[in-house]
Amino acid sequence: MTTESLLTKPERAQRVAPSVLAGIGAFTAVGVYVLVSSVDLGLWTSLGPGPGLFPFAMGGVLVAMSALWLVQELRRPSEKAEGIDRGMVVSVVVSLVLLASVMDLLGFQLSMFLFLLYHLKLRGRRTWMTSVVIALAGSVGAFYAFNYGLNVALPVSAFTPLNLIGL
Amino acid sequence: MDTLNELLGGFATAMTWQNLLFAFLGCLLGTIIGVLPGVGPVAGVALLIPLTLNLDPAGSIIMLCAIFYGTQYGGTITSVLLNTPGEASSAITTIDGYAMTKLGRAGAALTLAAVGSFVGGTVATIGLVFAAKPLGELGLLVGPPEFFALMVVGISLLVALAGKSMVKAIISGALGLLISMVGIDPVAGAPRFTFGMDRLLDGVSFVAVIVGVFGLSEILSYRKNAETPLVHAPGMRSLLPTRTEWRRSTPAIARGTGVGFGLGLIPGMTGSVSSLLSYAAEKKFSRFRHQLGKGAVEGVAGPETANNAHANAALIPLFTLGIPASPTIAVLMGAFLQQGLTPGPALFTEHSEIAWAIIASLFIGNVLLLLLNVPLVGLWTSILRVPTPILTAVILLFMVIGAYTINFSVFDVFVMIGFGLLGLALRNLDIPLAPMVLTLVLGPLMERSLRESLEISQGDFSVFTSRPISAVLIGVGVLIICSPLLKFHKPKALTEDPEA
Repeated sequence: MTTESLLTKPERAQRVAPSVLAGIGAFTAVGVYVLVSSVDLGLWTSLGPGPGLFPFAMGGVLVAMSALWLVQELRRPSEKAEGIDRGMVVSVVVSLVLLASVMDLLGFQLSMFLFLLYHLKLRGRRTWMTSVVIALAGSVGAFYAFNYGLNVALPVSAFTPLNLIGL
Repeated sequence: MDTLNELLGGFATAMTWQNLLFAFLGCLLGTIIGVLPGVGPVAGVALLIPLTLNLDPAGSIIMLCAIFYGTQYGGTITSVLLNTPGEASSAITTIDGYAMTKLGRAGAALTLAAVGSFVGGTVATIGLVFAAKPLGELGLLVGPPEFFALMVVGISLLVALAGKSMVKAIISGALGLLISMVGIDPVAGAPRFTFGMDRLLDGVSFVAVIVGVFGLSEILSYRKNAETPLVHAPGMRSLLPTRTEWRRSTPAIARGTGVGFGLGLIPGMTGSVSSLLSYAAEKKFSRFRHQLGKGAVEGVAGPETANNAHANAALIPLFTLGIPASPTIAVLMGAFLQQGLTPGPALFTEHSEIAWAIIASLFIGNVLLLLLNVPLVGLWTSILRVPTPILTAVILLFMVIGAYTINFSVFDVFVMIGFGLLGLALRNLDIPLAPMVLTLVLGPLMERSLRESLEISQGDFSVFTSRPISAVLIGVGVLIICSPLLKFHKPKALTEDPEA
């Protein structure tokens, strides 16, 4: 414990944090959805337990535990979680989604090269030299290492001029 | 002797130059994963499964096992030098390990930890050799109700030990089970929770889920300015412990081996439980207990021995009963299944050659790690000097390749991204991730054994309580889950379990 936390009493959050409420709401919703759809799947057949029985039980557990969690939070709200670096989350997730969307079209080497360059040069502020060398190794290098070394095929471009030159 | 002959046969397979190379590469990669604070053993092993996809089954499992226990050796390095555990089961080592670094005994701490790990790992592997056959035969006698009950015990133990809130741990476990149910139902063949997507008929890809939940979410939750401080590798000469240090660590290593081996056998126990309890044992029994916390060798040798003995002992329930005891072992089991090998009693009858080759490679791997780990400590610490943006970019690269190559489809890359966001949300809500991984792998097995049991009994649930073994096991599971109501408290040593 640091001296700071000894001197200033931790502020008791009086209300349940919105993110916690959202979480509890989401788990309850998933639980209810599972409960309803597993009844449709059939809980019991003439042969014994049906495909819906096990999911039904899990949906029930999820709903019950979410309710218990809510009760616990109302009694004693949990301390606020540390904030996340939103800029980081957005840039990593968006760049990954873009990469996955174009990988089959542009091929692994070109799309991965651009992806790595973005993370190294634009976000990571490395020198051009470092960025280009690592990006080349991670795209072209990884492509050949996986294709010929490990026999694992990574995608080539769907466009004719690009795939003719091996990209 | 029969067992010894088969083990020798295993050595013959494991000693071919390809398999030696795989073991060596695995040890190398495992140590690197252990050293990197961002990537734990669970995500690390899952991430590297694609590397092994096209290897032959023996080679691929040998490499993944080496990665797995390599992380246990590697995690020690940052705990001792940086006061930051490379992975959870080395967290307790930071106390005395870092204190030893400040006293200038970092080299000795690392050497003793590696020797302890070697002893613990080797003893546990010897245990595996002799337990494999008899336990496997016992495993063949176990019926679906007992199997189900055993999994209930494992999951409830993990749930009870993970995190501060059991409610949250149960939510995590239930989520894992639900994710495992996506796809064609194993008994009746009906599609479940596929939302009309053909891609989901085979279920959600296990590797993509693990890489997302454990690996990507870890990167997404990096804090700003989290640069690692400069580390100095200890010089070669200071690596040798003094005679007193050797003498003092011997009993600690012996106790650590006992604790780790014993707990490794119990499904639901994680390596960090072993290291925490081993530290607690040192506090109670060591002659130098008053020095613990101020740089006592016992505080390093004991827990580090225990987590490695645990890691190797945890392979016993996997090999003989087909039950993964901890999250990392669950990932390893996923890799077995991917290779068409079903861990469990049948492994020794159907693929006995591969099984013994893997066991033999465990001995070889432990020797390799002992030889690699300490002398190359300078190399390992230099990895920590790589700037964060470069590490992040390289890890992301491996995640994308890993997710893509499971089915050679970008669909799994999207699955990984989605589960990365889920993992981030769970971390922010303080929901432990470990129960989810275990139930993700155990889900299909649990459901099958539950339904088979109920089919045997024609729908009568008393099948679980009328058979003695399953009745006892179910009782134990219920007791564990109800322990908060009964006011049982977790042992104090375990309240800071960092794996939670």
